[in-house]
Amino acid sequence: MNTFAENIGKTAIHSVRSLQDNLSFAYRIFSRIFTPQAYNSAVRMVLINQIYFTAVQILPLFFTVAVCLGIVFIGVIGKYLMSIGLFSFFGHLLMGFVVTEIAPFVTVLLIALRSGSAINAEIAVMKVNKELQTLAIFGIDMINYLFLPRIICGIVSVVLLSCLFSIIVLASGLIYSGFFFEMTVSDYITVLMESGNFFDLLVMLVKCAVLGFFIVMIPIRYGMRATDELTSIPVAVLNGMVNVFIAIVIIEVLSLIVMSLLTRLV
Amino acid sequence: MRLFPSEEALEKELQELLAHGHHLGLVSLEAPLISNLSVLENISLLRQYHQRLSRRQAEDLTREYLRIFQMEDLAGKRNPVLDENQRFCVMVLRAVMVDNPVLVLDRPFKIMPDLADARFIYDVVGKVEGRYRECLIFDYLWNEGRYAGGFSHEA
Repeated sequence: MNTFAENIGKTAIHSVRSLQDNLSFAYRIFSRIFTPQAYNSAVRMVLINQIYFTAVQILPLFFTVAVCLGIVFIGVIGKYLMSIGLFSFFGHLLMGFVVTEIAPFVTVLLIALRSGSAINAEIAVMKVNKELQTLAIFGIDMINYLFLPRIICGIVSVVLLSCLFSIIVLASGLIYSGFFFEMTVSDYITVLMESGNFFDLLVMLVKCAVLGFFIVMIPIRYGMRATDELTSIPVAVLNGMVNVFIAIVIIEVLSLIVMSLLTRLV
Repeated sequence: MRLFPSEEALEKELQELLAHGHHLGLVSLEAPLISNLSVLENISLLRQYHQRLSRRQAEDLTREYLRIFQMEDLAGKRNPVLDENQRFCVMVLRAVMVDNPVLVLDRPFKIMPDLADARFIYDVVGKVEGRYRECLIFDYLWNEGRYAGGFSHEA
């Protein structure tokens, strides 16, 4: 019995310490974002490359996924609302569910799967190859040179791609609504404008930025935990990605709680 | 030149140097080239980062240095495709990018195991003479014979 209780205690302490480590690491990086000395031409070069790899190279896949999901979501939602006689809520569902919930979630999932895992593996390989040691020997700050541009890229990419996802979904919704629900363009735009809420959009953008920060920071953190052995790379990537998904769920839940609290206050 | 009877002694001395030394231009397998950067980017990085040179300024300087070794065509290549001698030259060029550096060659024969003697090493270091303050070679005592005819020895 004691052993069982001890194990629970150990697991709890380990989890709390791990969370504490991650949050203090997040704070260190967050504070650097606003330090002008952290930026130089080498950092800018990494930032531009990362934005290209993360936000530009993914565009064909992203566009395809957004169009397909947009048509499916809007078709299903529209038909269901029609069948239960609540089609007047069509706009609210589009803006409140697809734009503020689905768009960030799908975007963050795609970026985490593609770039998060790549960054995790890249940092782990650099650790195993002693390339991180090279940076330390030559006095190059890893946070400034390696982590900061990747995290800024994560924030920028998730925010911009979520907006793009929303635009593509709403545009494909326009086509679908025209064909199947016989809505005119002006009707569709009016429905969206009436349902749109600036406060919801603001919360969505903040949520995207927070998600972008953590889906890059966590893979970096776990990549750094690789040892000198090659076999530690898959372990680091696996742990990093599992924790990314846990973080996504936690941030989604927290954002819903914050949103409902703020709605009550407002 | 510093020659050591064992790996432990060498590494202890090297670690002390790294911990307390300033402006060290280390050429060592312990400080490999960054594999996702090209040769040009690897060498330019230090000037871009520490002296805040623009990318163009740092790359122009690097190309000038690469010309010393007639290695301009390697500028866009990455670490895995370089042969051992080319890798050594690039590491030396990166090391002299440190501001007024003490060039530290850590076991050069470990970087280029096929080298019979140190003539190539002296040649490479000679080509960048004037771009470093001092040059130290760290190696094992049993490699002493391979350095014959070069720098003065110090046991």
